[in-house]
Amino acid sequence: MQHLADLKDVHGHAGIPAIEVSGVGHVYAGPDGGVPALERISLTVGTGRFVVIVGPSGCGKTSLLMMMAGLRQQTAGSILCHGRSIPDPDPDRVGVIFQEASLFPWLTTLSNIEFPLSLRGTPKEERKRRSRAMLSLVGLDGFGERYPHELSGGMKQRVSIARGLVQDPPVLLMDEPFAALDEQTRMTMGHELLRIWSTTRKTVVFVTHSLTEAVYLADEVLVMSARPGRIIDHIEVTLPRPRTYEMMATDVFGQLRDRIWQKIRRSA
Amino acid sequence: MTRTHIVLIRLVLLALVLGAWEVLPRSGAINPLLLPPLSQVLGTLGGLLGRPDVQEAIGVTASEVLVAFLIAVPLGATLGIVIAENEYVGQIFKPMLFYVFSVPKSIFLPLFILVFGIGFPQKVAYAAFTTTFVVLMSATAAVESVRADHIMVARSYGATPVQILLRIYVPSMLPMLLETVRIAMIFNLTGVMIAEMYASRTGIGHRIANWGENFQMPQLFAGVIILATVAILFNETVRWLEARCSTWRT
Repeated sequence: MQHLADLKDVHGHAGIPAIEVSGVGHVYAGPDGGVPALERISLTVGTGRFVVIVGPSGCGKTSLLMMMAGLRQQTAGSILCHGRSIPDPDPDRVGVIFQEASLFPWLTTLSNIEFPLSLRGTPKEERKRRSRAMLSLVGLDGFGERYPHELSGGMKQRVSIARGLVQDPPVLLMDEPFAALDEQTRMTMGHELLRIWSTTRKTVVFVTHSLTEAVYLADEVLVMSARPGRIIDHIEVTLPRPRTYEMMATDVFGQLRDRIWQKIRRSA
Repeated sequence: MTRTHIVLIRLVLLALVLGAWEVLPRSGAINPLLLPPLSQVLGTLGGLLGRPDVQEAIGVTASEVLVAFLIAVPLGATLGIVIAENEYVGQIFKPMLFYVFSVPKSIFLPLFILVFGIGFPQKVAYAAFTTTFVVLMSATAAVESVRADHIMVARSYGATPVQILLRIYVPSMLPMLLETVRIAMIFNLTGVMIAEMYASRTGIGHRIANWGENFQMPQLFAGVIILATVAILFNETVRWLEARCSTWRT
């Protein structure tokens, strides 16, 4: 079994991908046999990779992400997370960041970040220590005692990211987290996310319908067709890291974005 | 305008009204038989509060209000939550409830007298009946104010159903439920008063109706002051609690 060692990737996992989706399909119940939403989706996300799923509105990319999170069940196929299925949400393995920051308005910023830890009875001292560290990681030192309504849209989404990271899950699933933000904030947040990712080295699956965001963030881009959603392209983004805003003006960036656009346009 | 200014102006307005209440009847601008001067009303109020029969009437009214409240609030809240949480129950009962809610409840008063007589049970039953509907409606709205995305977030962090109830539902609904309690008490007091004034042998509402019929204006106004004070005190206490529980509300 000597060759098993060769399969170990740089992050030390014995060849098992972080996420492995095989032949997943989903049909929404309804008259006439229901509405097919996803068809024969197969994809692999390697440990430590930043994978972006991009596709038109309603293509089922959010549904797919919710299935990876154990928040929704597919009607066909299997989803494995580090080799094990995920029938229910498991915060030890997967953290989810939603489109809306969805902070609890009755809790302060710090208490919001502590929320996942308090659900499982982590001791108070450790909760405080870890939530403060996360607050600092997302660049919000000094805002711990504020309430969500006192924060801007970008700050709220930072808190939401901190809350998703506080349990230190190896996989982070992000569902259009910056879609509700204005263009400038969105750019800044993308840059911030890459900084946070580079220090935490999580596996990230990021869903968006912004082509620029996809190319800017990703190691790999998976392109989905309009409903019923299928994977119609898989693109390796070869741009070096760390990514910079200047790269957006390069030919390589433009060609990658154009290739995604052409694929999506033809699928519609 | 600063907060102090506003409070000051309010106090001045209050003093003006109370002053007018004293001066206008005394000067004859208003018939003192219809509106006795404030000082005379306050004197009568002091005398009334010392009388055992008035104390007993207040006690009866207070216990009617309390018992009706203790029946209506849990009952209405439970029904409201069941209706909001269960799609089918909601679809079946919601239209009927809205229809009944729009009907003035006082037209049922004769029916309540026929069934319960004119004593304590009738007052409690009628007040609880009028209040339950309001509580039910507000409780339904309170459940519907719980945001689906908050529940989704909690689920994604592995929250159990009990944790979702205690950590998401309760804090989401709390400000609205307190509001419900406050409005319930207003309806409840109104219900008891109407029932007492319509047909009764005791209670402060019955006294007020009697004093009015016998043209005993100082007593009538003293009764109004007693009731108004109790109602305002309760209302403000709950409002204070509400403000404390919802500092996060914008």
